[in-house]
Amino acid sequence: MTTIETNTNGYVVGSTLERVLKAGHFAVTGELGPPQSADGDEIREKAALLKGLVDGVNITDNQTAIVRMSSIGAGTIVVQEGLEPIIQMTCRDRNRLAIQSDLLGAYALGMRNLLCLSGDHQKFGNHPTAKNVFDMDSVQLVKMVTDMRDECIFQCGDALKGQEPRFFIGAASAPFADPIDFRPYRLAKKINAGADFIQTQLVYDVEAFDRFMEKVRELGLHEKTYILAGVGPLKSPGMARYMKNNVPGILVPDEIIERMTAAGKPWADIKKDELTREDKRARSKVWRDEGIQVCIDLIQQLREIKGVAGVHIMAIEWEKAVKPIVEGAGLYPRPTVKEPVTQ
Amino acid sequence: MIIAERKPLDEIKTLVDDAQKVLVVGCGTCVTVCFAGGSREAQITAASLRMSTKLDGNGKNVGDVTVQRQCEWEYLDEIKDQVEDADMVLSLGCGIGVQAIAEHFPESWVVPGLNTTFLGIPSEQGVWEERCAACGDCILGLTGGICPIARCSKSLLNGPCGGSEAGHCEIDPDVPCAWQLIYDRLSSKDKLHVILDLQPPKNWSTSRDGGPRKIVREDLRLKAEEA
Amino acid sequence: METNQFVPDIIAFCCHYCAYAAADLAGSMRLAYPAAVKVVEIPCSGKLDPLYVLRAFEDGADGVMVAG
Repeated sequence: MTTIETNTNGYVVGSTLERVLKAGHFAVTGELGPPQSADGDEIREKAALLKGLVDGVNITDNQTAIVRMSSIGAGTIVVQEGLEPIIQMTCRDRNRLAIQSDLLGAYALGMRNLLCLSGDHQKFGNHPTAKNVFDMDSVQLVKMVTDMRDECIFQCGDALKGQEPRFFIGAASAPFADPIDFRPYRLAKKINAGADFIQTQLVYDVEAFDRFMEKVRELGLHEKTYILAGVGPLKSPGMARYMKNNVPGILVPDEIIERMTAAGKPWADIKKDELTREDKRARSKVWRDEGIQVCIDLIQQLREIKGVAGVHIMAIEWEKAVKPIVEGAGLYPRPTVKEPVTQ
Repeated sequence: MIIAERKPLDEIKTLVDDAQKVLVVGCGTCVTVCFAGGSREAQITAASLRMSTKLDGNGKNVGDVTVQRQCEWEYLDEIKDQVEDADMVLSLGCGIGVQAIAEHFPESWVVPGLNTTFLGIPSEQGVWEERCAACGDCILGLTGGICPIARCSKSLLNGPCGGSEAGHCEIDPDVPCAWQLIYDRLSSKDKLHVILDLQPPKNWSTSRDGGPRKIVREDLRLKAEEA
Repeated sequence: METNQFVPDIIAFCCHYCAYAAADLAGSMRLAYPAAVKVVEIPCSGKLDPLYVLRAFEDGADGVMVAG
């Protein structure tokens, strides 16, 4: 079991993610989806695939509104395994009382990073008849946890009676969702509320992201927070097309779809029902290799954009892909920052 | 106004199964305008129940009457005899009407014939849309006259979330994104600055979360001797 | 020919301006139609209310015809 240092040496929190970012290194975060069961070993197996490769690992909170092991429960196992979790907290399932009490517990259990989200609507999940909460929204959540940390007060204004929960606070940004012109301003609201770092929705269209970042720089937001661009390996041209057509806020340029399609060219002329299992397996391998390479190329391009402080690699249910991506992008080994804050 | 929809006939039949003599009570206000529980719908429901139960071999005696407003005692007084004469009342009022009948005629049994759905408007002929959540602390002045509590699927006060696409909400292509509407309206009035400030967490105590609500206007109350 | 053959009772809702006028003309021309068809004149077929149809069936009609 790792102990996370509490001597902050000038850091707000002192988590690895904060240290890496403040030392000016290009940060890498990953993602771990808890199981739809009470199986802790599944977390341990996934954690092993990510250990040493990322500076923090997001633990999703009932992602896509499907019931899974709790983020904090799974995060506790991740801490035991020697990784630093980034606890995701949504406003869908908890009111302000539950969020605050869970976060007190999360801090006591050794968690130091937090990502504040509104949460996917329950309509998409496996309990569409549930009542949602949405007592607050993600921006208000950022402000609440910032006040708990910096002002030592609960949302109601009462003082905490003892140790305050000190989280390195993150928020999400969807640069390509509508209304697109408002997105940098909504990001500014999250930063003004206290967001220390930002993880974006998946970026495949680097040009469009560059335009977003241009506005972000114009507003000076990149100097007030650390922006981690979201990336994720594609498994097939079908997945690329699905995301382009069906997932709001994700732009997939045709060149990337074509690149994925081209990788599967040796099998392109074989009729669908004539493809053997071996063919499919071989094609899938080639597609996945290409997906990883596309991801590496995207990271290289994103690194060149001023104001991008790192990448958030979303390889849900494909944690094995993280290693070749981080290595391929020249981001391995991960730095260790022991020094006090330099800035 | 209050928008409602009639329950399916099979469900209504189950609700009135115990009764032989049923009085269908329509309401002449909101549910008349939304074609769910007015005089016409009361007559149609009564006729449908008569015929359907007759076909089932246990024809019920089903009458109908419509009052101007089920939610006011004065109008309910008018149907006292008919209510007391029936085994059961099938109210085609909103949930308020059903409860008013139950409260006003404690000896009678009343069941709902409608599902009360929302507070909204007929946005076009045959289409009704929700507009108000009756949260008790109106913020429409901040949002260009478009309510994010009632119309944003997540009731966000600092929206829009990442699920806004091409003007609609990710939950359904037929649901407009309230925050896109707010954004468009404020931009067209050059008032975008209004939504750049962080809206603090809402005080939900004025909403249903604070418990059942009640307003007392002493200036309007009758003195004991007048009542 | 069977004597107990089923003869449905039909209520014919007829528009004053066309179908009813046609039925009237048929009468003048001594054309016969079955006695089980009862004609109800309405000002316009648009005036037909679902309640009229329900009422017809409730009162024993086997079929309803709307002509307009």
